[in-house]
Amino acid sequence: MTTTSPAPAAAQDGQARRPARRAARRSGTAVTRPGFAWAVPATLFFALFAILPLVLVAVLSFTDWDGLDAPAFAGLDNWRALLHDHTMIQSLWLSVLITVLGVAVQTPLSILLGVWAAGKQRNRAVLSAVFFVPLLLSATAVSVLWRAMLDPNFGVPAQARWLFGNGNLLGMQSGAIGVLVFVGAWQYTPFHTLIYQGATRAIPEVLYQAAALDGAGTVRQFFHITLPQLRNTMVTSMILMVVGGLTTFDTVLILTQGGPGTDTTISAYYMYQQAFKNFDYGGGSAIALVLVLVATVISLVVVRVSGYDKMRSSSEGL
Amino acid sequence: MKKRAWLPRATAGGVVLALGLSLAACGGSSSGSGSGRIHVLVYGDATNKVEKQIVATFNKTSKVKAVLDTIPGADYQQKLQGIISTKQAPDIFYNWGAGSIQPFVKAGLLMPLDSFIAKDPGLKSNFLPSVFNTAVVDGKPYGIPMRGTQPVLLFNNKKVLQDAGISEPTTWDDLLADVKKLKAEGKTPIALGGGDQWPTQMWFEYVYDRIAGPGLFEKALTGDKSAWDSPDSRKALSMLKQLVDAGAFGNNYDSVKFTDGGSPALLATGKAAFELMGSWEYSTEQDANADFTKSDLGYGSFPSMAGGKGNAADVVGNTNNYYSVLKKTKYPDAVMQFLKLQYSDEFVKAHLAIGNLPTTTNTPKFLDTASNPAYLKYQFNLVKQAPSFQLSWDQAYPPSQTTAIHTAVQEFFDGKINADGFIKAMQGLSAS
Repeated sequence: MTTTSPAPAAAQDGQARRPARRAARRSGTAVTRPGFAWAVPATLFFALFAILPLVLVAVLSFTDWDGLDAPAFAGLDNWRALLHDHTMIQSLWLSVLITVLGVAVQTPLSILLGVWAAGKQRNRAVLSAVFFVPLLLSATAVSVLWRAMLDPNFGVPAQARWLFGNGNLLGMQSGAIGVLVFVGAWQYTPFHTLIYQGATRAIPEVLYQAAALDGAGTVRQFFHITLPQLRNTMVTSMILMVVGGLTTFDTVLILTQGGPGTDTTISAYYMYQQAFKNFDYGGGSAIALVLVLVATVISLVVVRVSGYDKMRSSSEGL
Repeated sequence: MKKRAWLPRATAGGVVLALGLSLAACGGSSSGSGSGRIHVLVYGDATNKVEKQIVATFNKTSKVKAVLDTIPGADYQQKLQGIISTKQAPDIFYNWGAGSIQPFVKAGLLMPLDSFIAKDPGLKSNFLPSVFNTAVVDGKPYGIPMRGTQPVLLFNNKKVLQDAGISEPTTWDDLLADVKKLKAEGKTPIALGGGDQWPTQMWFEYVYDRIAGPGLFEKALTGDKSAWDSPDSRKALSMLKQLVDAGAFGNNYDSVKFTDGGSPALLATGKAAFELMGSWEYSTEQDANADFTKSDLGYGSFPSMAGGKGNAADVVGNTNNYYSVLKKTKYPDAVMQFLKLQYSDEFVKAHLAIGNLPTTTNTPKFLDTASNPAYLKYQFNLVKQAPSFQLSWDQAYPPSQTTAIHTAVQEFFDGKINADGFIKAMQGLSAS
C-alpha cells in the first residue's frame, strides 16, 4: 500500500496539472507580462552601478594612474606585470583555498544545525536565536573581537597551550588561514543554517511518515529523505558561500592585513592594497578584472556541475 | 487595462530612478573653499584639541576665517590623496613631510614656502633644523612643523630588570647578554608588535644607523640601489638575524600587535623586559596601566654598536608632523599668518599640556609646565643633540612603497627571506 499509492497519485496529479499550467502560461503572457518596459529601471540601475564601473575599471587597467595626475595610457604594462607577479598568482590560489575550506567547513555544520533547528524540540527556538547572533554583528566587529581573543599572550591560546603551542596563530601561514576560515564560519554558518532550516521545513511530512512506516530510523531518514530533498538548497547555499569566499575582504583587512608577509594576501585584498595603499589604480584595476573573470568561470562551473541551471523539481517521489 | 496599469507604474519607476540619480549627484556638489575661508585639514585624533584652539585664536583677529576639517582613523593618506587634486582640496593640510608629500610636490600641487620665509625668517629659524629639514623636498621647504616630535626609544620595565639583576644596556653586547639572562628566567626579553609590521621596522632603522651611519639610507633614498648590497648593509642584517635567532622577541611576535594593546601589555605586566617604540609609548602605557607608568616604566636610547660608523647619539622616529600649503589657495597671506601661530607661546603650552613635545626653539622655556617634565626634557635634549634624526623608513619613501618595506622587514624577521632576499626587496623600491 505504501509503495503503490503515491505513484498513481503523482500521475493523476501530473495529468491534471499539466493542461492547466499550459493554459495559464498562454494567458499569462498576454495579461501579466508587459515586456521589456518593466525591466528598464532595474536595467538602468544595473548599467549605472555595475556595468559602467566595470567598463571604467577595464579602461583603467590599461592606464598608469596614481590619482593625482590624469591617467596615462600604459598599454598592456599592468597586465604584463600581473603575469610575472608571483603574489598575484599566489593570491588566486589563496582565494580559492579559503573558499573551498569555507564551503567544506560551513556546509556540514549548517546542514546539521539547520535540520536540527527545523524540528520541534524543547528550547529549540531559544537556542536557534542564540546561534543566529553572530550574523547580526558586523564583520569588522567580529574580526576585532577574534583578534583580541586569539592574542597569544593574553587570549585563549595563553590558557590552552596544549592546543595552541606557542600561540603564534597569526604569525604563520597555516594558522592565519585557519583563523580566517574559522572566523568566517563562525559568522556565516548561522545564515546558511537559516536557509537549511527553511528548506527542511518545506519537506513534506508524508515522506517521513512513509519512511517511518517502512521502518527507517532517524539516521536513515536523514540520509535518504532530508539530504536528497535539500539538494537544490545546497547548491544555492554553496554558490553564496563561493561568492562570499572569493570576495572575503574585511576579515583579512583586520585579522591579518594579508600577512604574515604575503601569506594571506588573497586577490580581493591584493587589489585593495595595489589601488588604495600603493596608489597604483591601474594595477589594482587589472587585479579586479582578473577576479571578475575567475569568479565568473567558477560560478559557471558550479552552475553546470550542480544542475542549478535546470533546477529540476525537488519534490521527488511525491 | 494593460495601458492603464503600465503608465503609472512606469512613471513611478522613473521618479524613483530620477531621485536616485539626483541623490548620487549630491555627493559632488559641495564646494571646497568658499569665499573668505581657508580650510585646514588634519588627522583626526586627541591632538585636535590643540588645533581647534589655534584655529579659534587665528579667527579672533583674522578677516579670512580658518575652518578645521579632520579625517579620523588610519586612512588619512588614502583619503587625502583622493581629494587633493579636486575642488574639495583644503588650503593647508597635515602630513609627515618627506615621502608623504613628495608625490604632491611632483604633481605640482604644493606651494614652496620660500616666499613666506623671506617675509618672516622666524618660520624657519624658530624650529629645530633636523626637524624642519624633513619637509624639505628637492631643496625647497614645503612644511611647517605643527605637532610634537616622536623619537623611538628603548623602553623597559624597571622591576623586571631589577629582578633579573641587569641594568639598561648601553651596548649591543649588553643587550645580547640581557636577552640570554631574561630568556633563562622564562621571560620574553623584548616585546614586539610584529603584527603591525612597523614596530619591526624600527629595529632595522636603528641597527642600520648604528652600523652604517645615516649615509647608507640617504644614499638608498636617492635611488642608489648599491647601498642595500654594501658590506655595512649585510653586517646590519646579520646583527638583526643574530638577535632574532637568540630568541630576543620570543616566538609568537607576529601574532602580537602594538595597536591593539598587545605588546604594551607584555611590558606592563612584566612578561617582557624591553620594547622599542616611539615616544607615544609613554601616553599609551599611562592610559592603560597608570600605576606601572608611574613606578616602573623606564626609557633610554638605543645601545651603541662596537665597530659601527653611526653615532650612538643618533635617533630615528617621526621627526614631527607638518602643515603644507596648496598652490591653489586664494588667501596666501592669511595662510602665512596661520602658519606663524605654529611657533607661538600659546601653541607650545597647549601641546605640552597634553603631553606632546613641540620642536620650536622656545619649547625649553615651558618644559616645566608639562605634566611629565623629566620625560619631555630627556626627549628634547636627545633630539636637539642628535647629529642625525632619521625619519622612519616608511615615511621617508613615498607612501606607495610602504607595503613593500613592511612585508620585507616582517619576512626577514620570520626567516622567510634571507639577507639576499631582503636586499633584493629593498632594491625593488622606487624612491620617487
